[in-house]
Amino acid sequence: MTTSADIETADRLSRRRARMLFALAIIFLAQQVSYLSGPDTGMRTVDHVKIAAWLVMSIVLLLLLTTGGFWFYSRKVRELMEDDVTRANRGDAIRFGFMAMMTAGIILYFVSLYEPMSGRQAIHLLTSVGIGVALFRFGFLERRAHKDG
Amino acid sequence: MGDRLENRLLALRTERDLTQAALAELVGVSRKTINTVENGVFIPSTVLALKLARALGEPVEALFSLPTEDREQR
Repeated sequence: MTTSADIETADRLSRRRARMLFALAIIFLAQQVSYLSGPDTGMRTVDHVKIAAWLVMSIVLLLLLTTGGFWFYSRKVRELMEDDVTRANRGDAIRFGFMAMMTAGIILYFVSLYEPMSGRQAIHLLTSVGIGVALFRFGFLERRAHKDG
Repeated sequence: MGDRLENRLLALRTERDLTQAALAELVGVSRKTINTVENGVFIPSTVLALKLARALGEPVEALFSLPTEDREQR
């Protein structure tokens, strides 16, 4: 049985998620620019910390993208947040992320002919582009879905 | 792909003095779902279309129809 309180909570959280996705995508992509523009030493402690932070954030964002997040709310509220519209938006966002990742891969292939790049850097870049673009698109579509009239 | 669907959801909902949230509660979906269907942003599944029709007490054809040019092509 769906109550008006459940609908109200789902609506509020869904709006918050749409704003959050947008902000997280920007923060995530901005962090990668600073990481990838630095030298690829990879052996210093600070580099290990940066890579670990990126890895943790990537996994959390990937989970947020694929499951919708808000894992500690009731099942009913999460079901309302995972409606047909959200599932369609997520599918579109993941398609966008995949296309962005493939495009980045093709560009990277040609760039690597002139500018050598380590495998780790390439994986970092491709993963970040895939997650970042998909998050951005998901946030955009969710915000549009909430707009009235 | 590029399919369109005309709907009278907004008109029928306001005729019955229902808010989007009230209709969402009757159907058991989110307010966002009602909003996107009304605005034509989202084409509902058959199940959702039937649930909306039942909640408003109308046949599904009264809520949703193909655009005029699509009907004329048949």
